[in-house]
Amino acid sequence: MNHGPGLRLWRRIAMALVAYAFLAPLVYLLSVSLHAEGRGLGGSLLEAAGDPRWENYPAALARMGDWGRLFANTLLVTVLCVAGQLLTCSLAGYAFARIDFRGRDALFALVLATMMLPEQATSIPRFLLFRGLGLVDTYGPLTLPAVLGGSPFFVFLFRQYFLALGAELGDAARIDGCSHLRAWWSIFLPLARPMLVTVGIFTFLAAWNDLWTPLIYLMSPEKSTLTLALASFNRSYNTAVELMMAASAVVLAPCLLVYFLLQRLFLRGIEVAASKH
Amino acid sequence: MRRMLAGLVAAALALVAEARGQAGVEAAQARRLVVMVDERGFESWPGLHALEREFEARYPGLDVQMVEQSGAVGQQDKSRFMLAGDLQLDVTRIDVTEFGAFLAEGALVDLEPYFAADATWNADEYLPVIDGLRDARGHLYGLTSTFTPYVMYFNRDLLRAAGVPEPRAGWTWDELLDACRKTTRDTDGNGRVDQYGISLTQWLQAVTPWIWQSGGDLLDEKLERSRLHEPEAVRALQFVRALLHTERVASFDASFEVTYSQGLFQAGRAAFYGPVGYWETYRFKYIDSFEWDVAPLPRGEREATAIAMTAYVVPRTSREPQLAYEMVRALAGREFQGLLARIGNGAPGLRAAAESTDFLDPVRPPQSEHVFLDVLPTARFMPPLANWRKIQDLCAAELSQILLAPECDVAATCASMSRKVDEHLARERERASRSRLPSRTVEASFTLAIVAALALWLSTRASKRGRLGQLEDRAAYRLLAPWAIGAAVFFLGPAAATIALSLSEWSPLRPLDDARWIGLENYARLAADPTFAASVRATLLYALLSVPIGLVLALALALLLRDDDRWSGVTRTIVYAPSILSPVVVAILWRFVLDPDQGLLNEQLARLGLPTPAWTRDASAVLPAFVAMSCWSVGAQMLVFLAALKALDPSLEDAARVDGAGWWRRLFHVTLPQLSPVVLFNLLIGMLGAFQVFAQPYLLTQGGPGDATRFVVLYLYESGFRHLDMGYASAIAWVLFAFLALATLLVVRASRRWVHYAARRT
Repeated sequence: MNHGPGLRLWRRIAMALVAYAFLAPLVYLLSVSLHAEGRGLGGSLLEAAGDPRWENYPAALARMGDWGRLFANTLLVTVLCVAGQLLTCSLAGYAFARIDFRGRDALFALVLATMMLPEQATSIPRFLLFRGLGLVDTYGPLTLPAVLGGSPFFVFLFRQYFLALGAELGDAARIDGCSHLRAWWSIFLPLARPMLVTVGIFTFLAAWNDLWTPLIYLMSPEKSTLTLALASFNRSYNTAVELMMAASAVVLAPCLLVYFLLQRLFLRGIEVAASKH
Repeated sequence: MRRMLAGLVAAALALVAEARGQAGVEAAQARRLVVMVDERGFESWPGLHALEREFEARYPGLDVQMVEQSGAVGQQDKSRFMLAGDLQLDVTRIDVTEFGAFLAEGALVDLEPYFAADATWNADEYLPVIDGLRDARGHLYGLTSTFTPYVMYFNRDLLRAAGVPEPRAGWTWDELLDACRKTTRDTDGNGRVDQYGISLTQWLQAVTPWIWQSGGDLLDEKLERSRLHEPEAVRALQFVRALLHTERVASFDASFEVTYSQGLFQAGRAAFYGPVGYWETYRFKYIDSFEWDVAPLPRGEREATAIAMTAYVVPRTSREPQLAYEMVRALAGREFQGLLARIGNGAPGLRAAAESTDFLDPVRPPQSEHVFLDVLPTARFMPPLANWRKIQDLCAAELSQILLAPECDVAATCASMSRKVDEHLARERERASRSRLPSRTVEASFTLAIVAALALWLSTRASKRGRLGQLEDRAAYRLLAPWAIGAAVFFLGPAAATIALSLSEWSPLRPLDDARWIGLENYARLAADPTFAASVRATLLYALLSVPIGLVLALALALLLRDDDRWSGVTRTIVYAPSILSPVVVAILWRFVLDPDQGLLNEQLARLGLPTPAWTRDASAVLPAFVAMSCWSVGAQMLVFLAALKALDPSLEDAARVDGAGWWRRLFHVTLPQLSPVVLFNLLIGMLGAFQVFAQPYLLTQGGPGDATRFVVLYLYESGFRHLDMGYASAIAWVLFAFLALATLLVVRASRRWVHYAARRT
């Protein structure tokens, strides 16, 4: 777009202010994570840079316990959730978008409605269910609802995406006797790359950052996840602010990394979903 | 992309196989002892691991599992779930105020037979505080971890400077008042008091000693009626209120935390601090600018104080009660008790440890640790009620009114507090006489919901459609099957079960079959519950502030950053970055950003010369703080707007520009109408999020100050897991559900007037 030089300057200033406001707490986190022991908070944002205590990071990791194990556990749970969620939600989204079947809208409305019931209320019945299935202290409760259930929101996103692909696509294949399952796998999924990335990232973040479910279901310390280990820092926070901030930085780093790597596709997926209603 | 997906699935399967292999190894061990005691501080873990090794060496083949109760605030949540699910849990640590609840719900193993059979057991080795763990028959159910009576902390330097004698055993309310008058000062001469005589604590347990000292009590001997309205109790509360409002020698804080009253003392700006327990020494040991010590509480008509205590108990879900008993003995044994005392967790219940230098440390402050042991003869526990926490929360509103409101009729407020407690106690008594839910109702409603969903499915299947239609139906159902099964089992079923629960009274400490049928009573109670009304108000206020502000901010950011230059790209990434963080990290971070004394926000505001509110401690500033926090995570909404802006038809805007329309006119007449479907989408998602906000208040404020952030879902959680009233919690869930469904419907209905689906590029 063509702006005058004055307007452009104002926009730049506004952007700088916005960037400062959104970035400051994160820089603060990094800055406090490099504080000397017992120094607590306070001081200007970049003050710690003068005398950074990098040794806070190994110390925080050591406090979290077997952090390699924690990392591997969290990765396992996250990968399971992402893979399962992508398969089930894209399948269901395809069915809602491309097949006209009886009871479609009623079914969809029913499941959307379950989103309005807070999970804190359903957590006890769900716990009793998993207890009945003998799955407490396994990764079942952390992954099965995502793998099988899938969030209605993601089904909705896939539905929007497949609707946007145009009515003709797939018809030819169908006329040639290709089944819906095949059409989904070989025609629609390859085209749905941006949405797969978008839903994948959302699922990754949700699974990686989940606290409540692992807190309730995991008993054995060797099965613990990163967020769970981080939460125990929060409790005795008076003792070591800098270590807690360092631990937080370690836990959020992979999330930032995944987002930065897949950013372009992620935005494309949202774009398609937002352009079609 | 498909290859990548297939790769993901393969990786997942391989990881599962690996995990299963490990599980197999673990399952081979025959005996387990599950211990969840989780003492405060990382320093206690070496001691716990030593006990673990010791037991495993003594009993070959035994696997001792030391489970951490990690969890930011709700440390007890996990044991609730384990008891409700009848999972093996052999030893756990509870607060003595929960003992009554555990006992009443039949959730504990009576340890008396084990003590009787143990030749090495000698009750005299323990301080009499273990009597707080006996039932009405005198049977002992556990042993003390650590305890602390409520005492008075004092700043020796301030007292000396004012020429006030130090408090000693037997000092009186009048002496306290006199000392407070002499130490209350305006040190910088600006006309405002900045050094107080006393910094008061306010929760029920801390206020109770005053009532006991004046000769009153909370409840009658049978624990059936409240005595809070009686003259003794009123007199005690009037005395405390006078310190604050008539004498103006006390400072006091309405917040959820004690950090303010504590901070005042820590900063050397209060001569006394209390009534409060030993746990403060943990923090005060870092004080090096003045000398401090502890003294018994002053006496009124008589001497009295309250005790706080935690204890090791054996829950009913223990599979190895004998070993669990031995573990309780070991945890309450000389070695571990000594370690706890050295860490500074409290006074140990074992005499030998309490009277050793582990506790009576001659170097570490306070000098007079022995005070914590000396006051024991006049110390009492809170009444052993089945639901102490509920009583505490019931009284909180009236208590803070008595202590804080500029005008307050203490006697009338005490009477209303008394009435609320009586009503609650009456309902508790009534419970036993109620009939049980028919066996397995909850499970049945769960199954019924799934069967109903299945029936719906079958009936649509059987409907008359052409052959092709039926084929299409069948294909669709096949594709939908995995998702539909999951949704039915994991979402629909539990949702149906909570309907059954909402019609019953059930504590998660009991087996599910013990739920009592009460019909619609939970819903009727909700309608008359002032706390629920307050939480609805807080939630509505929060939603009304955060949703529109979030929408406008997201749209403004999207408009600012819509260009495709590098500056916009970088700023977009920065704005979205906070949305990636886990709620735990966000809460940890914001707790420090909002810290009134040292936090980033007030530091920056002070630099700009702006006012610096106490954010999380100030009832009028806390909601804006929460809104700011939600604005910080506005990135996802901004992305949706950005995406929609990109998909706009540029020719429309160009045409308007050619016609001479200014920026605002183009925005309101061209851009916004085209964006309206996305505005609706963001509005609905924002509403759902705002009405269900939980993690931030749960981790940051726990509902305070007052009820300012006790949002509906937080209150739901407290009802279910703190007050152990799952039926009530389920009723709240369904009321919220009905409200959200209705609100969504109304918004969608109304949106037909302003949402335009035309003129978009495909």
